[in-house]
Amino acid sequence: MKKSHSLFYIILAFIFAQIAWMGLLGLWIYWYVSNNIIFEQVGDKLSPQIMIDSPNVFVFVGGIILIASIAVAFFFFFRNLTVQMKLTNLYDNFIANVTHELKSPLSSIQLYLETLETKEVLPEKRKEFLEMMMRDSNRLKKLIDSILEISRLEQKGISYNYHIYQADEIIGRLIKESIEQFRIPPSAVKIEGRAMCACVIDKDAMQIVLDNLTDNAIKYSAKQVEISLKLSSNQKRWMIEFADRGIGLEPKNHKKIFHKFQRITSKNIPNVKGTGLGLYWVKEIIKLHGGKISVQSEGINQGTCFKIELPIYQTSKKYYIKSLLRQTAKNQKLLEKN
Amino acid sequence: MEKNPFKGSKILLVEDEETLAIGLQYNLSDEGFIVDLAKDGKEALKFLESNVYDLIILDLMLPYLDGFEVAERVRSRLLQMPILMLTARTAIEDRIKGLQLGADDYLTKPFHLQELLLRVKGMLKRKMWYKTSTEILSVFRFGKNVVNFENLNCTSGSKKFVLTPHEAMLLKYLIERKGKIVSRKELLENVWQISSEIETRTIDIFISRLRKYFEPDHNSPVYIKSIRSAGYSFNDEKEK
Repeated sequence: MKKSHSLFYIILAFIFAQIAWMGLLGLWIYWYVSNNIIFEQVGDKLSPQIMIDSPNVFVFVGGIILIASIAVAFFFFFRNLTVQMKLTNLYDNFIANVTHELKSPLSSIQLYLETLETKEVLPEKRKEFLEMMMRDSNRLKKLIDSILEISRLEQKGISYNYHIYQADEIIGRLIKESIEQFRIPPSAVKIEGRAMCACVIDKDAMQIVLDNLTDNAIKYSAKQVEISLKLSSNQKRWMIEFADRGIGLEPKNHKKIFHKFQRITSKNIPNVKGTGLGLYWVKEIIKLHGGKISVQSEGINQGTCFKIELPIYQTSKKYYIKSLLRQTAKNQKLLEKN
Repeated sequence: MEKNPFKGSKILLVEDEETLAIGLQYNLSDEGFIVDLAKDGKEALKFLESNVYDLIILDLMLPYLDGFEVAERVRSRLLQMPILMLTARTAIEDRIKGLQLGADDYLTKPFHLQELLLRVKGMLKRKMWYKTSTEILSVFRFGKNVVNFENLNCTSGSKKFVLTPHEAMLLKYLIERKGKIVSRKELLENVWQISSEIETRTIDIFISRLRKYFEPDHNSPVYIKSIRSAGYSFNDEKEK
């Protein structure tokens, strides 16, 4: 409530300031033109012996330029401020979401520990409770890791571990791991097409990409998740199309979902968990691989398809890909030395 | 283990976090309660349409319909249903909103199991106390106000409104001790049946709501007065 009020006042102040600048500009022009007329028409008649220069054009034009620059600067300042306010808002949401994501598994772990401490629990139940605690502690670990990794990614403290792989072979392996991790029945995931080319990827980072996409497909499917993975390639690039039959996405949100802290809130969404970091992380990883990611969806309840395009080794982005491999080799040497 | 006098009471647990829900269901069932589990707001309303419950434990961040909306809908139909909100949100605004929408109690995650069980039993005890004491005092008049403790309908002058069970219980407790000073600690222990060390702000929120309903000017109360450093006192006799 307070934030929307302060935004209203900022907009009001901005409009007022712009009117003031324009008013001043108008007055200035009026002053110049009227003075010029007086000098030209009356000045000559009244005192022809005095040589008076008409008002200085340089000062006049210079003044206008200065005022216009202030108005433009003011506009940029205002635009920046609103972006900052939006970011602060998103950040507040992020804190609320992270709090929820941290506290929920923590409450669950605490509940099971107190249950085991205060009650006599049958051995099979005990085993079940320990598994639940493991699940929750893994969830906590993942969340903490993701926050730390993203922060490292942003500070360019990336640990390079790029190697050359056969594209469809590595993707097949990684998606299998995601399926196992999220306990999806293997029949729910279909892989079509092939990308018979070499690529340079960081296996662990690409696993994070597929894990995040799989997690999203599960979270945003009202029924049992169904994933189809389509691989293809052209002369320079190879593509992964990761599609689900979930609740879909409105066109206005296609770009938004990759923004940091951004979460789409809607009553149709069957899951409220998340921090708004997952797809931002995915986009950053793909960017580091020299590729790009986009999303397509026909709309609500029409499913979602993420399209990832990556360079083929020694065909596209040669210099950049080589630098990734060089950096990896350098890191490995350093590790061996230590 | 202490015997549970409310064994067999039916509880609707609304929680979307699977592991937490399973743990809660186990513990509540172990105490002798019959528990139904709803994973989202829509499912909770479906359960409520086809079953009768003694209490609802409600998470706030739920898919489809959040806890606030569920509480509001429940309160509009089932006036005396005790609702315990269970949530990771700790902001005072959320707490106030939850209580305003009709929640009777608010517990933040992570919580202690014993505290949760005590609160659940306390709420069921209050429900029972309210039911029995209503038989003795069903309609009460003070000033321009008339309170029906059976159906919770009230009038204040020409204004008509309905109290939540908790508001009614608090008012009833104060009325029964007319002219005496009742401390926040006593109210928490006897009306809320929770330890006074936990919080006292909840009481203030409820008192301020009662004043808005019944006082001619809620900023200078006539009936429900604050006694500095002591608590509250109800008096309906006009000052001379």
